[in-house]
Amino acid sequence: MSAGPHVAFIGASKRFPGGFEALAGVTFDVPRGQFCALVGPSGSGKSTLLRAVNGLTELTAGEVRVGGLSVSAASLPQVRRKVGMAHQDFGLVDRASVAENMIAGAVADIATWRALLGLYPVACRAKACALLAEVGLAPEHLARRVSELSGGQRQRVGIARALMRDPEVLVADEPVASLDPRASDEVLELMRREARARNVTVLCSLHQLDLARRFADRIVALRGGRLVFDGPAAAFDGATASQIYGGALESVQ
Amino acid sequence: MSVARESAPTEAASNWRFPASLRRRGLAGWVLLLAVVLASAPSVEAGRMFRMTGEAATAMVTGGRSQVLDGLGAIGRQLVPLQISERREVSRIEDFDPNRLPPFSRIETVETRTERLDPETLQMKATTERTAYLVEPVGYLAHVGVKLWETLMIAFWGTLLAVLMSAPLAFFSARNLTPSPVLYGLARGIVSLLRAVPELVSALFLVVAYGFGPIAGVLALALHGAGFLGKFYAEDVEAADPKPQEALAATGANRLKVLRFAILPQVLPQYIGYTLYVLDRNFRMATVVGLVGAGGIGQELKGRFDMYNYHHVGTILVAMFATVFLIDQVSARMRRAHF
Repeated sequence: MSAGPHVAFIGASKRFPGGFEALAGVTFDVPRGQFCALVGPSGSGKSTLLRAVNGLTELTAGEVRVGGLSVSAASLPQVRRKVGMAHQDFGLVDRASVAENMIAGAVADIATWRALLGLYPVACRAKACALLAEVGLAPEHLARRVSELSGGQRQRVGIARALMRDPEVLVADEPVASLDPRASDEVLELMRREARARNVTVLCSLHQLDLARRFADRIVALRGGRLVFDGPAAAFDGATASQIYGGALESVQ
Repeated sequence: MSVARESAPTEAASNWRFPASLRRRGLAGWVLLLAVVLASAPSVEAGRMFRMTGEAATAMVTGGRSQVLDGLGAIGRQLVPLQISERREVSRIEDFDPNRLPPFSRIETVETRTERLDPETLQMKATTERTAYLVEPVGYLAHVGVKLWETLMIAFWGTLLAVLMSAPLAFFSARNLTPSPVLYGLARGIVSLLRAVPELVSALFLVVAYGFGPIAGVLALALHGAGFLGKFYAEDVEAADPKPQEALAATGANRLKVLRFAILPQVLPQYIGYTLYVLDRNFRMATVVGLVGAGGIGQELKGRFDMYNYHHVGTILVAMFATVFLIDQVSARMRRAHF
């Protein structure tokens, strides 16, 4: 693991057209290979911050740098090349097969005519199989529709798909929000293992503080679009948590 | 009670008032509908329609007379017996070769004796004329079959071209895929225009442009179908779940790839449903556009009707009914197999 910032937020701010300020000058950076958990109450800006990393949200002020590259409309193709994403509701097409969904993860690298005709490169197919095996799925799952899988299996596919293009950064927006505790453990364990093995930087928002403490190297807490805690996972104790969440509840009322 | 209802914010459930199912606005809607029905009745002669239909129903029960039944009966009696065979005068058939008759056919010779005045002897003289007819026992039925097949193919090709034309139209007229607002507006305009012109009207013009025959029929069905499918495909694309689309966009995939991998799998079942509906509708419309000369069984029907060949018309109607029934069965089976 090389030192120095891999993903850097520099005064990241976002004000939505309606006037809601989701991010108000967030500054921190993450070294390569770190598993960084983002916590904070709903509406604290976690998703907006994560979506700024691959340009799904455009910041109104400040910048995000990925591997030294500032995220902008011009750099988007190169940035998206480096960033894989796992979603809260998996972002998979339920009606399509697991195989098709896996190909979809790498389709940006496949020539359009090949993609439309279904002539996927052999390397791409092999990679899909290898990744599915790595995340613990069996060959018979390939042809199965996503709607036939369990929630835990779906998120495994979601993570495998995010790894299809060998990203340097894995962004995960509440990847275990719709999973039961056991599946949540398995998915986070898988994410940590895969990230370590590939030296991938992970930015993962979580609602479950105990999971954040158990799986993350570092915890960053947001409240009202501002950074309110940044430290090693072990330092995030009960008092800090109640301060962050309790305060937010008061401000909502 | 009423005091408690107004003041207490938390009320016992037994005092809650369930909202009335027919409210003032709903009632006003029904009254408006009734007013429109009454006001518009004279312009469609609704009074005469109900009176004559009523007379017909009464006549059917009591055995009396009614204008409607008389009219229907007059035509109906002429439809039967259905024309099955074909009988043509041999001398009118081009390139007739008596040694190579069509299958199952035979030649009938009819002798007609006529008395004529011989201009030289000025005496009446009996002459015998022999006319040969080619008789095909199921000839007309076979001819109707050929025309029905042509109609089916007009419907199939009309649908095929409609699907091909509607794909780009749907792409540009779906808000979430269109590359620019100008193209969006243009595509929407074309889709509306195509749907606004009925098949029968465009067939009239296309017959002038391409001449009588199936080309006009195919194109008329294709144009209207493209408008219909373009609209419904685009609406489905817009209604598709945006999450997989965003997930794909986040990998850097272009619009066509998003369409293929995130949208198409979601909307495919509906697409197949719409396309089958258009095919089904096009078969019936292919008959109608035939009436203005755009090929198929409709053209045959119009020709026979104009020549008062009602037995032939009867055969055509029965064959059409049988085909539509068959198509219904097949398409129902296809739908069940797919979903």
